[in-house]
Amino acid sequence: MRRYERPVFSLVYRIVRDRALAEDLAQETFIKVLNGIGSYRPEFKFSSWIFKIANNVAIDQLRRRSLDTLSLDGSPMAETADRMGATALQIGTPGESPLDEVEARELGATIEQAIARLRPEYRSCIMLRHVEGFSYEEIAETLELPLGTVKTYIHRARNELREYLASVRQ
Amino acid sequence: MTNHLTTEELELWAQGLLPAARTMHLTECTLCRAEADRERTLFLSLSRLTRFAPTAGFADRVMKQVRIPTRSGEFQS
Repeated sequence: MRRYERPVFSLVYRIVRDRALAEDLAQETFIKVLNGIGSYRPEFKFSSWIFKIANNVAIDQLRRRSLDTLSLDGSPMAETADRMGATALQIGTPGESPLDEVEARELGATIEQAIARLRPEYRSCIMLRHVEGFSYEEIAETLELPLGTVKTYIHRARNELREYLASVRQ
Repeated sequence: MTNHLTTEELELWAQGLLPAARTMHLTECTLCRAEADRERTLFLSLSRLTRFAPTAGFADRVMKQVRIPTRSGEFQS
């Protein structure tokens, strides 16, 4: 479970963009995984099965709460400025040198803002491809989407990300 | 001049996996070169994305809610 703790939490966090909610949903994911381990079919990759459950849990939550227009500044469900700050995506990796940290924060902040503007299903595809290193076929299996749809989503997501990064640099 | 690089070829190039014969095209095509540079910048940004961690005690909180089957076929928490 520890192996998948960060990957699952990161995927869910980037989809719902609310740390407390992401933690609840990641917890729900692992409870479903562990309680449903008997239904796992070994012909599929175990990681694909876990990410499928995590993605479904997060997307279901978005559908229930109409959270699909989210802000890097915090959860749209936040009712006060303090709550907005508390739910904002936290960027930066501990242990980096000061220069690296500044660079990582800048790069991270910009790319996170760009990702925040993507549709949730594009976000899932980009995370699985670029953070988890899944192949297009594995993403299609995980998200239960046709391979062509996955390619289209990733192509469109990258175009949107490139456009946003270019607009920020101008 | 050879054909422009496809989206898939640009991705391969950004990952350093594009065959040399097609990479040559970038030396003679400014359009593809510009596109490839944008692709590489994007890949660099994406490669630096952080894996976030849940708060301490996450695994323990999960395990408290998992039903563990006993030998008799019943479940215990």
